[in-house]
Amino acid sequence: MRGCGFYNNTRLFFIFMGGVVMLFLIAPLVGMFISVKAPMLMETLRDQEVTSGIGRTLIVSAAATLISSIFAIPFAWILARKSFPLKGLVEALIDIPVMIPHSAAGIAVLGIISKDSLLGSLANSAGFSLVGSHFAIGFAMAFVSIPFLINSARDGFAAVPQRLESAAQTLGAPGMTIFTKVSLPLAKRSILSGYVLMFARGMSEFGAVVIVAYHPMTTPVMIFDRFNSFGLNYARPVAVIFIVVTLVVFALLRFYNRKKIE
Amino acid sequence: MLQLKEVTYKIGTFSMGPINLSVQKGEYIALFGPSGSGKSLLLELIAGIRAPKSGSVIIDNRDVTAIPAGKRAVSMLFQDYALFPNMTVFDNIAFPMKMKRRPINEINSEVNKICCYLSIEHLCKRGTSALSGGEQQRVALARAIAAEPLLLLLDEPLSALDYELRDEAIELLDMVKRSGITIIHVTHNREEVLKLAHKTINFKELNIRV
Repeated sequence: MRGCGFYNNTRLFFIFMGGVVMLFLIAPLVGMFISVKAPMLMETLRDQEVTSGIGRTLIVSAAATLISSIFAIPFAWILARKSFPLKGLVEALIDIPVMIPHSAAGIAVLGIISKDSLLGSLANSAGFSLVGSHFAIGFAMAFVSIPFLINSARDGFAAVPQRLESAAQTLGAPGMTIFTKVSLPLAKRSILSGYVLMFARGMSEFGAVVIVAYHPMTTPVMIFDRFNSFGLNYARPVAVIFIVVTLVVFALLRFYNRKKIE
Repeated sequence: MLQLKEVTYKIGTFSMGPINLSVQKGEYIALFGPSGSGKSLLLELIAGIRAPKSGSVIIDNRDVTAIPAGKRAVSMLFQDYALFPNMTVFDNIAFPMKMKRRPINEINSEVNKICCYLSIEHLCKRGTSALSGGEQQRVALARAIAAEPLLLLLDEPLSALDYELRDEAIELLDMVKRSGITIIHVTHNREEVLKLAHKTINFKELNIRV
């Protein structure tokens, strides 16, 4: 009986601690939502700068995710399946963008795309500048968010029994067919989750993006810009709208992913 | 039909061989030995999933040591059957034929023929995850046969089955044996293959150094 009571007290304590965490997460968001006045929200919704900024953020992040995945997914398979010298170092390098300050990541990306760099000078000679372009935004978003896709896809591939790939091999399937018909479909859940994580991380990126492209503005930069220039009341509606849009996008993505997996 | 000449293999601290083995066409060879002794590994060397450190693998008078799996006319029935869970039973069985780019109507009739042969035609549209152990084994066997191999490798095909299903599975393997296909059956239980095999070989006799 004593054990049972203890168990109940422990459970109550854990529920209380969980409640504190939930409050910590939800309270600032709820506070922000209830402090936004409806007329201000409607006015912001009609602001074309805001709507095009949100559209830009979503599209560039989606494009950066899709383009990165062409390279990241085969790489993730290699990491899951093969041993090679310095593999541990390579895996540590992949996680670097997650660990370093994102403003530092922005500086690193700027070093590659500025007109003094090889890539920047090539673009310059073709008549356009990479800094302050959609390319720069996508590059910065991809740089900070690609580890999420690689790691998630790698874990997914690692969970596919190697025997299935061996079986396909003995049945005459070439390497690429084994990948597309066996490994990829079986790792689909993790890969799709990696896509969502990378997309989410990319679109919410501020530190790296603000360094390579203040303009054209992504929504996180716009929120900062409005807060810096006009104050909290002016930045808050943009933040609320962006959060709602992201929640809707993620609800749709999750629904779509679940449907696709079923 | 199959000759292994001085085949050796090493992975980490585990080493095997040199192994010499000769199997005649249509023979059913049972290879028995304790778990973890490297029997499955030997099958993988014959199938081409792993490459030997030295020696040669000869199938049908052709040295296939450097030829990749899938181009050796060898099929393998894995211990856990290794059915593709993302495909239906039909697609699993059709897989090796699709890899050979055979016409779709030919694939359909061939799959139906094999399914009738193994009495699994009622399973064709089902997924593999809902199948019983015995059904999974039949499907895996059907898939292996669909690749039209000269040599069929069976890796502990009875070990995952309940006791009641084993007699049924032995009958099934006997039926496949009678079709004239060359079979190497690896097991840790010599008793289970006595009725099936033309010859039983103790794995230790193959000059294995572990």
